[in-house]
Amino acid sequence: MITPEKPELAEILEVKQETHDTKTFTARFVDEKRQKKFFFVPGKFMMVTVFGFGEIPISISSSPYKTGSMDFTVVNVGNVTNAMHSLKKGDKLGLRGPFGNGFPMQKFRKKNILFVSGGCGIAPLRSAIYAAREKKGEFGRTELMFGCKSPENILFNKEIRKWGEQGISVHKTVDKPSPKWSGNIGVVTSLFKNSKLPPENTVVLLCGPPTMIHFALIELRKKGFKDNQMFASLERMMQCGVGYCSHCNIGNKYACIDGPIFNAADLKELPVREE
Amino acid sequence: MNYSLKKSGLQTFLKTLTKKFQVIVPALNDSGIATFQEFEGQEIYLGNERLSSPKKFFRPSKEKIFSFSSKGASASVKPVFDKTKRLIFGIRPCDTHALNALDELFIRYYGDDQFYSARRKNTLLIALQCTEACENGFCQSLGTSQAVGADLVLIERGNEFFVRPETERGKSLLGKKLFRQTSDAEPSPKISCNLSLETQNIAGNLYKNFKSPVWKQEAERCLSCTSCTQVCPTCYCYITDDEFEFGSSTESSRFRFLDSCQLLRFTKVAGNHVFRESRAARLRQFVLHKLSYYFENHGIQLCVGCGRCISVCPTKISLVEIANKIQKQALEAGK
Repeated sequence: MITPEKPELAEILEVKQETHDTKTFTARFVDEKRQKKFFFVPGKFMMVTVFGFGEIPISISSSPYKTGSMDFTVVNVGNVTNAMHSLKKGDKLGLRGPFGNGFPMQKFRKKNILFVSGGCGIAPLRSAIYAAREKKGEFGRTELMFGCKSPENILFNKEIRKWGEQGISVHKTVDKPSPKWSGNIGVVTSLFKNSKLPPENTVVLLCGPPTMIHFALIELRKKGFKDNQMFASLERMMQCGVGYCSHCNIGNKYACIDGPIFNAADLKELPVREE
Repeated sequence: MNYSLKKSGLQTFLKTLTKKFQVIVPALNDSGIATFQEFEGQEIYLGNERLSSPKKFFRPSKEKIFSFSSKGASASVKPVFDKTKRLIFGIRPCDTHALNALDELFIRYYGDDQFYSARRKNTLLIALQCTEACENGFCQSLGTSQAVGADLVLIERGNEFFVRPETERGKSLLGKKLFRQTSDAEPSPKISCNLSLETQNIAGNLYKNFKSPVWKQEAERCLSCTSCTQVCPTCYCYITDDEFEFGSSTESSRFRFLDSCQLLRFTKVAGNHVFRESRAARLRQFVLHKLSYYFENHGIQLCVGCGRCISVCPTKISLVEIANKIQKQALEAGK
């Protein structure tokens, strides 16, 4: 019998400091058979336990084609993430999952992909970007619009440069520039004018803070994107991942089992912003 | 075959059951409030005040679910199940329906929540049919006035109980000394609920009126005190948290705590964004979860019409009043 809430032991293989408050943890199940059977679709998430401190939902930020381990990119913002940041190579985690629906990558074949991300929302999109890069021939052109608080907060800088060299058109913006910053200043929607992808044959993948997603969808609609072309990953509080705890309830849907990826057409029907 | 049990034999009956079970009965506590407590020969409360439900024996407010140990290489995760053989006497029909509604999610829907189903499997239910209306009940509107899934159903009749066994497990409890076979017709006490809920298309109508001004009007006096979610026999939302075993840095446990959608922190995510910031949004979540969302997902109402949330509300907010107001608007608009 399966106990859906039982965490399985995993080992941290590597910890990488990304920015002053963000680290990427590479981990794998201690049970080799479990790790071999493990696969996921970009956009899915794991429930990660830091023993003694609690459990939180974290999306997988590594390529689905990278078997043998998985990455979690984690900002130090709460109790559990704070405890997680003190962990080192060789330390144990508890893992459950993967949960959620993930991005329907199959549907995106032969289409251009526009990635829109705010802050650490880049984490699940990184997984999708790697998936799109791996099967380059299957997708059209790709663009990334990436907004961050300040230049110091930009995650995956080196990787992003590499993606740019490999043909992904990357546009970055910050809210608060540093003296050295010569790029765009403003929210992520201010980058949309740079997009060269024709709305007819393009899908949009979004992940970021709720306010960003709300306004990005409005601006994208103005540019001619239809709701059924846009897929947003929603953030909600979660305690179980299996539809029990009801914290991620949005209307009669649950972000953990019906999401976290929602089509913009479905979002219109749901009380995403509850005034 | 049905049976009868003299009221004077109830104490003896329960006392014999304590040999096999942890017996739980309704009895008055020090403050004169009827609660479900372990039977130790105290007087059984058969009265009309039913603020407390036996929810705590199925969804306790704090429940240990795992113990973790990480000594060296031998780290382990062990689930902790409550397998106490328990018998609950005096559960009311609405509360049996509450368990039935929870079974839908925790046993039949997604997978087996073994912490819940262990408690369910090991607990026998002796239901007590209501013979008079309670303060704010509206079970007749929701069709929850007859017990479901109990092992025995008892109906008060003068100085005895009419006993209808529902399961083999229930039948096996009936000792020959105390229980007499009877061929009498089952008594059907005539009761009429004090409140009535308009249930026609209620799930759809409430959701369609998500932006109705009623939510805000009613929520203006809400204190977010969470009393409603605490007394509700079906409120199951929980958070989990880990605690270190006292004095140890290698042994810890995971607990579930019942949570309340009436609290701000319920929808708070990293970066302090709160999705249901207004009291209106939180009150609406409570009502819609009870009467709309759950029904649309499971085909069964999560509200069982016990009316406890109404009785307990310090500012007299009534789920029935809110729902009926919106129903009136919706049904009139639909004409």
